[in-house]
Formats: sequence, structure tokens, C-alpha cells
Amino acid sequence: MILSLSTKLLATPLVILMTLASAAQAESVLRRANDLSFGGSESLDPISANRFYEVNDLIYSRLIRQDVDGRPAPELAQTWTANATATEWTLTLQPGVTFHDGSTFDAADVKFTLERVKDPALESPVTDVLGFIAAVDVIDPLTARIRLSTPHAGLPLLLMDYRVRMLPEGAAAPYGVGTGPFKLDSFDPESMTILSANLAYWEGAPKLDKIEFTAIPDSEARNQAMLGGQIDYNGLTRDQEPLYAGNPDFTVQSYPAGGWFGIAFQSNQPPLDDPRIRKALRIAVDRVEMLALMTGEGNGIVSCDTPVMASDPFRANLDCPQDIAGAKALLAQAGYPDGIDIEVFTADLEPGMVQYAEVYQQQVAKAGIRVKLTVAPSDGYWDDIWLKKNAVTSWSQRPADQFLNEAYRSGAAWNESHFANAAYDTLLDQARATLDIDKARSLYVQAQEILFKEGGTLIAYQENGRRVMSSRVTGIAPQDEDYIRWHLVGMAE
Amino acid sequence: MAAVLLQRIGLALVTMVIIAVVVFFALELMPGDACSVNLGRGASDSMLAACHIRLGLDQPPVWRFVTWAGDFLRGDLGISMQRERPIAEIVGWRLRNTLILAGVTSVIGIPLALGLGVLAGLNPDGPLDMAISGVAIFAMTVPEFISGTLMILVFSVILGWAAGVVTIGYKAPAFELVKASILPAATLIFILAAHILRMVRASVVEVMQSDFAQMARLKGVPRRRVIWHHVVPNALLPAISIIGLTMAWLLGGVVIVESVFNFPGLGRLAVDAVADQDLPLVQAIALLFGLIYVLTNLGADLVALILNPRLRTRRQ
Repeated sequence: MILSLSTKLLATPLVILMTLASAAQAESVLRRANDLSFGGSESLDPISANRFYEVNDLIYSRLIRQDVDGRPAPELAQTWTANATATEWTLTLQPGVTFHDGSTFDAADVKFTLERVKDPALESPVTDVLGFIAAVDVIDPLTARIRLSTPHAGLPLLLMDYRVRMLPEGAAAPYGVGTGPFKLDSFDPESMTILSANLAYWEGAPKLDKIEFTAIPDSEARNQAMLGGQIDYNGLTRDQEPLYAGNPDFTVQSYPAGGWFGIAFQSNQPPLDDPRIRKALRIAVDRVEMLALMTGEGNGIVSCDTPVMASDPFRANLDCPQDIAGAKALLAQAGYPDGIDIEVFTADLEPGMVQYAEVYQQQVAKAGIRVKLTVAPSDGYWDDIWLKKNAVTSWSQRPADQFLNEAYRSGAAWNESHFANAAYDTLLDQARATLDIDKARSLYVQAQEILFKEGGTLIAYQENGRRVMSSRVTGIAPQDEDYIRWHLVGMAE
Repeated sequence: MAAVLLQRIGLALVTMVIIAVVVFFALELMPGDACSVNLGRGASDSMLAACHIRLGLDQPPVWRFVTWAGDFLRGDLGISMQRERPIAEIVGWRLRNTLILAGVTSVIGIPLALGLGVLAGLNPDGPLDMAISGVAIFAMTVPEFISGTLMILVFSVILGWAAGVVTIGYKAPAFELVKASILPAATLIFILAAHILRMVRASVVEVMQSDFAQMARLKGVPRRRVIWHHVVPNALLPAISIIGLTMAWLLGGVVIVESVFNFPGLGRLAVDAVADQDLPLVQAIALLFGLIYVLTNLGADLVALILNPRLRTRRQ
């Protein structure tokens, strides 16, 4: 009796301790790294140029997101309809959604979030994307009407932008309150940022309890932290990939993404003002071989000079095998039967930018195109070479409408090949005013066909994105970050 | 003695002024300025003009140098462009962390180096000396980014003994940082100890063959006493200046080691500041590194002066 009592007395604290310990173990935490790309001025304002992108995606929600095929799907907006001229869009909102501070999400928050995009004081890059929103009217708490200054049938696609995330009305610096699956516990982009599950998340409580971010600016150091099991999720570069091959502790994913290198030929300078020459310079390229050489097998998708990424519903999927005979014929027609001399500039700004031009030089030599390759200094490349000479260029992903306007419309500020084609511009205007998504698609495809026929920019492929995760991480498909439903992500025991 | 002291301090001051001039005017020679470099591809004319006024870049360079240097003397290092906070505040924590790393490195590394150097020097070309000197040459030739990565691979990834990359923040308590600095310090010690011990070894060999050491042995003084009272004190004297130089080298070494290990110190901040094109911060860090370099060498000089009576008088 005495013995058993003392055993009990002894055992009780032990049991408590063990319960505590197992409770601590059961907490599932995903550890990530943030790359400190803004040196500590990372902002929780989703539309800031310095947005803390790793974190903002988790704490805020969009009105509209993409489904697995890249088409608009409901998030905080349940439905969206336009008037006949696509100048007014009416959105009905998801009921019962609350912000992390307990307040209810409604149409006034939509008005506040979308109208501040135009605030010049914020110097937001999103102003260029959504600046055509004239005003937002609150019809009732769950209905908002967006009035546009120009017709735009593609508004739902632009609202899928990863930066257009809902803030509560009147939100001010430092921000951080959203409707997303995770809420901010502590924020220090230079050391640690900790998020915890938003148990009231409208799609259901997240599987993870916490997501922790540690600032690791150096790419190699992030890789070491991943190898050493200090973080569970990280981006991956091509040369780091073999380190994880065949290791059962890690899952490596390669997924379609929208970044690319290209060569922008100056379409306004002779002899490149002849579209036949521009086409010859592009069809002489063996894109399949170039993709394999530059990224490895299966790590990208061939592009027939379209900037639009594979998962975008408006991408033109053309066929463009290497055509040496065709290129020679075009050059001969244009008055260069003995081949042509072309100067191309590049710079060692990003890994691969110089090699891209070297592979190009080798491949097109067979068609009699003699490329004089100049590697310019990295400093000042965007100021002195780009937009002025035939230059290797680098872009990150954008929606089709934005890309096709920003980089190819006559007179656009970043029209790097100085491409000018009235028919092309008209197609883009028509597409913007076309509400039927299939009809809009055929217009955007026609525009991209013009680019392949006459354009000045070679785009051989879009490279895949890569990530590595601890093999315990569940619920992440090989798709771009935008597609991840973070409340469904878990950690297996 | 006082004259020598003043001369050393005066020289240090002159060196500092030269460093400040070079750090400041090197930037003037670069294409563009702090504003155009930081704002980059998307800079508009109005943004550039506003930035010029904010940073005072519309003033003549000489006037800006005087203001900048004057502010620096008063402890005002300016405002970081990228971080939009006072540089003194940003640099303060990082300086503490780097000093912790340098402290751990020297507290372990210097005695280790002195001990091994004496040991190797007392039995030159013996098996022990061969082993120590061999490892030292290897350590000196392997660059930090390789030895650091190997340390992580072996001790963190394969053996799992220590955390590889530092994941604690720059404001973490000092004790936490001491724990976190084990692998980075080991990487630095590997190289630092090699440099110092080779110097000490050579010095011990030389003193052992000197007249007074021979004399002591001929007199019948026990070997132990010869070593501890005659050889070691004389052999360590030249080591002091090499320790000073090596400590200054350490500052350059931390730039690489801190990046490899993600250690939140001044070295990593320097790399980040360059990557962010944050020129005022780069300038401040460069000047700070210069200051530490000069102070460390001055300190080593003064210690040598105190320990060596022969240096105290000025010889013509």
C-alpha cells in the first residue's frame, strides 16, 4: 500500500511530464527559410515592391485563385459577372469569413484593398497591372461592384495575381492581419518569423500548427540547412538537384513555371526590320536540344517564342522544330544568300545568361547565321545594352495579357524588341473586351502566332521551378507556389 | 616611452584618415551613385531627385566627405538605404555577434596554436613536429568556404553532432550565439591556429639555438627551466605581432565563414549590403573593418612594447 502510494506520487509528475512531452512532439511545425531579398525591409503590405512574399502568401487570401488548370476559381469571391461591355464587374463574396483580428470580411474591405492599388504614395508595381480600376462600389456587405476606366474581360485573371490579397478596411503599416490559413505570431524578416494556424480559417483549420521562417540569405547556406535537416522546404537550383537524388529523406519536385531567358532582336534596326530575317534567326534554333542542354531533361517546356507559361489557359502551343533549310531560304529571299552577321550581347547577370547565347551561336551557325557574341559588363547592362542592342533578356512569370501587352505592344516601355504590329495590338484590345473565355483564348493565340511569324524575341523554352522538401511534408503537388493550398499541407510523423 | 607611444597612436590615426578617404572617394569613382545603383532598372527621374536630396548627394563631394566623417566621429553612421534604419543600430548587434565569434575563436585558437607551436619547435623535424606542421600547411591552403562546407557535411549532415547552419536571429542572447558558433569557430581556428603555430615554431627553433639558451644549458640549468624561463618568453614576443595580424585577418575570414554558416554577424551583413546595393551601409562597414584592423594592430604593438623593453626607446 505504502509502496504503491509512493509509486503513484512518483509516477504522477512523470505522467504529466510525459504528456507534456508528447504534446510538444505532436505539434507539427514546417520550418522554412526566407531569402532576405529585401535586406530586412521586407513588407507585410501585399502590394509593396518589397513584399515579404514567402509569408504574405500564407496570411492573406485573394478574391480569385487558379484551379489546377490555371483557370479562375473562387476564393474570397464566390461568383463574378461582368456587364455586356466588360466595364463593370460584380462580385459576390464568401460569407462568414473573418480576419485574424476577428472582424468580418465584407465588400468594404474589397473596396479598400482594390482602391489603394492606385495610391501613388505606395509606389506599388501592382498599379501598372490594376490601375484601370476606377472605383469599387459597396452594393451590400457581400456584393462589390468594380468599375473600370477601360473595358477588361480578363479582370478575373488579373485578380489572380499573387499580390492582390485582401486587407481589412483601414489597414495600415505594419499590416499583417489577413484572412489566410496562417496568422502572424512574430515578425522579424532578419531573424525569425513565426506563423501559427488560423483555426477559424474558412476552408477548415490547417493541418500544420506552425510555420517558422529563418532568414538565410545565402543560397548555399539554405541548401546546407536543408541537407542538415534544419529546414523542411526550400527552392532548388539545377546544380543542387543531384545532392538529393535517390535520398529517401527528401522529395524533389520540378513543376512548370513561367520564367525564361530570351534574345530580343531590335526589330526597328536594319536589316532586322525585315520580318523574314527575324524569323530565320528564330527558326534556326533547336529548342529541344537547347532546353536539354540548359536545364537537363524534363525540366522545362519548349516555347515557340511565346512568353506565356504552360499553365496559363491563354498560351499558344505551337510546333517549332529546328528548320535550317527554312531559315536559309528566308535569308536568301531577304537578300542574304551567303548568310548573315549578327551581333548579340549578354552579361553574366544570372546563371545561364551567357551560356544561352553560346548555345544559340552554335546552333544557328548551320543556317549561315554568324553570331558575334559580346559579354558586356553586368553593371549597367539594363541601362546601356538592353532595349538598345540585340540582347539576352530575362523575365519572370506574368499572366498572358500582362506579358503580351508589356513586352510586345507598340511603344510599350519594356517592348525590348521594338516590335510594332497594328494587327497584334488590335487582337489584344479585342481580347480584353471579350468575355467568353474560349473566344478570348483564340484571340490571344492569334496574337502569339503573329509573334512567332514576325516577332523579334527568341524564347526557346520556359524553365521549370524546383523545390526540395523533407519527405515528411504532405499535401504539396508538383505545381507552382501559387497553387499550394497551405491549410492542406501537413507533416507525417 | 611616451614618444614611441604617441608615434604609434599618431600613425594609427593617419592610417584611419587614409582609409576613410579611400572608402569615400572610391565610391565617387564608380559609375552612378548610391541612388541610381539602389533604385536600379525601375528608377524614374523624380525618384532619383528625391533620393539625391534625402542622401544629400546634391552637395559637392568634399563637403559630403567632411560631413560624413564628422558624423562618423560622433557615432552617427548614417541611414541604410535598403533597410531605412540608422546604420549604427543595424551594425551594433552584428558587431557584437562577430566579436562573440572572434572571441570564441581566439580563446580556443590562440592557446592551442601557442601550445602546438612550442611543442613542434622543441623537437624540430621529429614525428610530432612533422604531424603538426603537415596539418598546419594543409589547413592554410584549404580555403574557408571549402573547410566550412566540409565541417557542415561531416559534423552536421553525416554525424549529426551539431547544427550545421545558424538558424538563430541576430538579437539572440550571447550564450545562444556562443553555442551556435562552434562549427564556424572551428573553421576559423583551423586556419588561424595554423598561421600562428608556424610562426611560434620557427621562433622557438631560433631561440633554442640562441647564445643565451645554449649558455643556460651549458651552465646545467634543467631543460624544463630553460624552456619555460628562457625560451618560451622570448619566442612568444614575435608571436604577438603575428597574433595581431592574424586577428585582423580573422575579420576578412568572417565574411566568408559567416556567409557559409549563416552566422548573423558583420561579415554576413557586409555581403548582404553589397548584394542589396546599399552603398551607405557598405561604406560604414568598410570603415568599421578598417577601424578594427588598425586598433587590433595598435593593440598588438602596444602589448609588444610593454613586454619588450628594447622597443621602448627610440633608436636613430
